[in-house]
Amino acid sequence: MEDLLRILSEVKPGVDFTKEDDLIESGILDSLSIIQLVTKISDEFDVEITPLDLVPENFKSAETIYEMIQNAED
Amino acid sequence: MTYASYLYFFAFVFLVYMIYLIIPVKYRWFVLLAAGYTFYIVLNGFLTAFLLVTTVSTYFCGKQIGKFQEGFNAKKKELSKEEKKQLKAVVTKNKKAMVGIAVLINLGILVFLKYYNFFAGHMTRFWRLFGFSGGMPVLKLILPLGISYYTLQSIGYIVDVYRGKYKPEQSIGKLALFLSFFPQMTEGPIGRYNELTPQLVEGHKYNNADFSSGVILMLWGFFKKLVISDRASFMANSVFNDYQSYSGTVIVIAVAMYTIQLYTDFSGCIDIMSGSARIFGIKLSENFRQPFFSKSVAEFWRRWHITLGGWFKDYVFYPVSLSSPFMKLSKTAQKRFSKFFASLIPSAAALFVVWMGTGLWHGASNKYIAYGLYYFGLILLGMLFEPIAVKIFNKIKLDRKGKLWSGVSIVRTIILVGIGMMMFRANYVMDFVHMFLRMFTTQNPADIFNNTVFSLGTDKHDFLVIFIGVVIMLIVAILKEKGRDVLTTAATGRIPLKWTIMIGLILSIAVLGAYGPDYGAVDTIYAQF
Repeated sequence: MEDLLRILSEVKPGVDFTKEDDLIESGILDSLSIIQLVTKISDEFDVEITPLDLVPENFKSAETIYEMIQNAED
Repeated sequence: MTYASYLYFFAFVFLVYMIYLIIPVKYRWFVLLAAGYTFYIVLNGFLTAFLLVTTVSTYFCGKQIGKFQEGFNAKKKELSKEEKKQLKAVVTKNKKAMVGIAVLINLGILVFLKYYNFFAGHMTRFWRLFGFSGGMPVLKLILPLGISYYTLQSIGYIVDVYRGKYKPEQSIGKLALFLSFFPQMTEGPIGRYNELTPQLVEGHKYNNADFSSGVILMLWGFFKKLVISDRASFMANSVFNDYQSYSGTVIVIAVAMYTIQLYTDFSGCIDIMSGSARIFGIKLSENFRQPFFSKSVAEFWRRWHITLGGWFKDYVFYPVSLSSPFMKLSKTAQKRFSKFFASLIPSAAALFVVWMGTGLWHGASNKYIAYGLYYFGLILLGMLFEPIAVKIFNKIKLDRKGKLWSGVSIVRTIILVGIGMMMFRANYVMDFVHMFLRMFTTQNPADIFNNTVFSLGTDKHDFLVIFIGVVIMLIVAILKEKGRDVLTTAATGRIPLKWTIMIGLILSIAVLGAYGPDYGAVDTIYAQF
């Protein structure tokens, strides 16, 4: 989770990702930042994120993103 | 399109709805399918064959993808990890081949009919540059109505089935209905199979709230189209078709008029279509969300023609960005450039593909390519200057989310979108360049007072009607932005309020609608795409 929070703050500096619970609705993450995030996640966690994973529900908060990574690892 | 055709459409919707209510609930989707094909055949005749080819090819390719997947699921339990991996690779290859066939057939038809002559023209000019004679022949091609919309729906469906988002449709009739639901056939919105089909085949009973909402939404659409859009079109057409004769002042007003025309035409027609679907209890996807309150052009495109932007995001931007060449590009960029440019370069490359596609989707013309690239350039500039902007705002301690900067951002976005509209409407790219320059070199504010502006088809009375119409739309939009949907409240609220709004809209359309002997019928803009 710490690695994910670091990646998130690299993509969007200045956001407290431990508190934000709707990153899409609040406009913090858009399609561009999602792609930047996914590219870094694929690289660092060595997982394959597919376009099917790129749905708003998976990017609501740091926790949902972490769950998506764990599912991809499985 | 004639004004009578609006009345025919209104009558058609209610006739179909009456038949829909008579038929048993279980079979009501047949009425929608028959209505869709009747509507399409009346408007398109033999060109309906193209819709049939798309439907049949999408159906069989989708079913075949499902069979490949089911075969894999049945066998995988008996296989070792290595065997499973090998079989999965084969199945994925087969599934990809099916997607390839479906996309090749459907996109092939669209590309050939829509872009062949554009491509042939460019190739011939290129050929003749080297002194050769002849070239590619120009063909008489007719574009079937709504092909740009139903083709995207079919590709979205087949890709989703490939991705395993849902199982393929087993009934060709239900898939045919998804691709031919009559309110969507002319201008969208571009629907998603998993959101739309369950509503289409469910069979809805009469619901007072849906019926009232649908009628009010249709009237609201007619109000936008007939009272505002058609009036604004007259001046816009006069100036854009003969811009050399007018000053920069007149051009600025014509651009504003065209922006009003396009928005009220497109969103008005979407309201009419969404309203007609709502009468049947079917909710179409939202296509506009108060776009002129956007604080950036990127946000504008998340609020304007939402279903097209959503389609390009899910079926072009994401897969292109996550494809192996782009992932390789990303890794190479990470090695060679700073963190900022390493993340910017692959995103910019994927965005270029998206905006070229968005531009070309609108039509086979250099101006539409320029239109797409214009927005690509603006979004890229925004990304490039973002770090500098952050530093500046921190230094001057200005809150970017504060009211002052939000207001400035909205005005800036409207101006940038206005320039885009000018490019979109100009007959040629060079016309746009000349018009743009004239705005700065030939300003003559006296044109507002010496009647020039009011002598171009949209007179003082029309301007007043447009102004009142825009103010009403603005109030409705502000309330909606604050979470209060006036039209839905009116439809589901008390009877006196509902009837006041309905009668008000009917009277406005009847008294102020731009029809009759003094006015010409204006075709809907997005139906030609």
